[in-house]
Amino acid sequence: MYTERLQTFTLWIEKGLNKVFSQKYNPFYYHGALPNFFIWTLFISGLLLFAYYVPTMTKAYPSVKYITEQIPFGNAFRSIHRYAADGMMIFVLLHMLRVWFTDRYREYRIIPWLTGVILLTITFLVGLTGYLLIWDQEAVNLTSMTVNLLGALPLVGAGLAEFFMPGGKMVDFTLTRLLFLHLAIPGLLMFFLWMHYLRITRPVTDAPAPLYLLLLGGLFMICGFFPVELGADPNRAAFSQSISFDLLYMWPQWLAVKGWDAGWVWALTLGVIVALLWLPYLHKKTLRGQFAHVKFENCTGCSLCYHDCPYEAIEMVDRDDDTRFKRLAVVDAGRCSNCGLCVGACAFKAIEIPRRESADVLEEIKVALATTSS
Amino acid sequence: MTSTENKEKIIGLVCERSVELKDQLDEKGCLKDDPNVQIIKVPCSGMIQPIMLETALKNGADGTFACGCRIGDCHYREGNKFLRERLLGTRMPKIKPSTDQRRIQAYWLSVLEYEKLQEMVGDFQEYLKTIDSSDAATGSASQAVEASS
Repeated sequence: MYTERLQTFTLWIEKGLNKVFSQKYNPFYYHGALPNFFIWTLFISGLLLFAYYVPTMTKAYPSVKYITEQIPFGNAFRSIHRYAADGMMIFVLLHMLRVWFTDRYREYRIIPWLTGVILLTITFLVGLTGYLLIWDQEAVNLTSMTVNLLGALPLVGAGLAEFFMPGGKMVDFTLTRLLFLHLAIPGLLMFFLWMHYLRITRPVTDAPAPLYLLLLGGLFMICGFFPVELGADPNRAAFSQSISFDLLYMWPQWLAVKGWDAGWVWALTLGVIVALLWLPYLHKKTLRGQFAHVKFENCTGCSLCYHDCPYEAIEMVDRDDDTRFKRLAVVDAGRCSNCGLCVGACAFKAIEIPRRESADVLEEIKVALATTSS
Repeated sequence: MTSTENKEKIIGLVCERSVELKDQLDEKGCLKDDPNVQIIKVPCSGMIQPIMLETALKNGADGTFACGCRIGDCHYREGNKFLRERLLGTRMPKIKPSTDQRRIQAYWLSVLEYEKLQEMVGDFQEYLKTIDSSDAATGSASQAVEASS
């Protein structure tokens, strides 16, 4: 399978990273937690920007200029907000690729994968609206390009274009609505993040502090060496076409400038999303009908397996048969990954996975030792 | 072939997803490089019950080891972490205190790291020779379990 090669490739990179970072601080072992660092960075730096930003046609640019030039460390905060957005997208993509390459995205992990695709889309939308809010000449050009693309959508296109540019013009509503989306969509992000973690027991939401400090240091260095710049005032400057695209967020507009038809840009965008949602279903199911089973007569209701199950597939229920035990472990077949962690947790031989019985392992050990000693 | 007489018998419980042993085992499931090391595969190191390691020692193995993926990289998220905690005695079910814990080791290695396993098993062999079996002192398992991380 192609996935095996991808996995070997990932492990090869990690082997190198283990030498640099040691196993304890290998960033690849915290790939899901690292985007959380950027969420917090973006939230905190965004608070300051939000305090001074004025979302109207005439005041937007001056307020950004004020943040950039007057407020102590104002431009530093803007730079952090901008580069953290890039970092967020980069680390989210790395997270996604690693999960895909190591085959951890399907069957019992379907909910994290599907919500992950939604989270990726949401991250993209937040970043996109953020770029437009700067409202220098470049952002104004990008806004009209974005609205043009939106308008090309069938059915909803005209309505969306009207929502952002009532009567085809940029007015104060354009900016308030962009700002509203830029602040409201992250709320949606939190909701889907919750769903992302739903089927995961003890999700790794934080990386060790040294890794966070390393990221923060790297972020500060980039901000120091390449502070963001503010473009021309759209209220005064002559209309200019020169735009530098951040391809992590601006690739649809970039494609449009390269001469792509709006229809093709949308076909590509939606195609990528649908392909990602479809990906786990392309793989042949490997776990059909395979799940851990509880031997009722042995289960004491101690709930060790319930606590150790990494996918919340075990539930403790009351039992009223004629044993002296009050609780019983029950497996949810659809969530079970057939991994056997519950077998390792059980001291009473009460739970087994079909592909490897613990009694067989014990038997093999005994046989191996019997043949050599005789 | 090396003589198997004076070497220590070792049972290794190895996660299928950690070190790749496809080409390293003979027909009996022993390491080609060291026929005294019997490998028994399990789907995940988290499936290994402490009693499995105890059974190996009780039935005459000189030493036994568990091998899982790199800590942090378990395919099933937490298997190797849990096994480590069980061997260190911080997670139930724990290894029995009466077990000679000097004879138990755990390695955390990825698919690509067979050489490292070979090296560590070799060191384990050497170490086992230095242990006096009558002295059943329960040494610190933590040292051995942490050694490879």
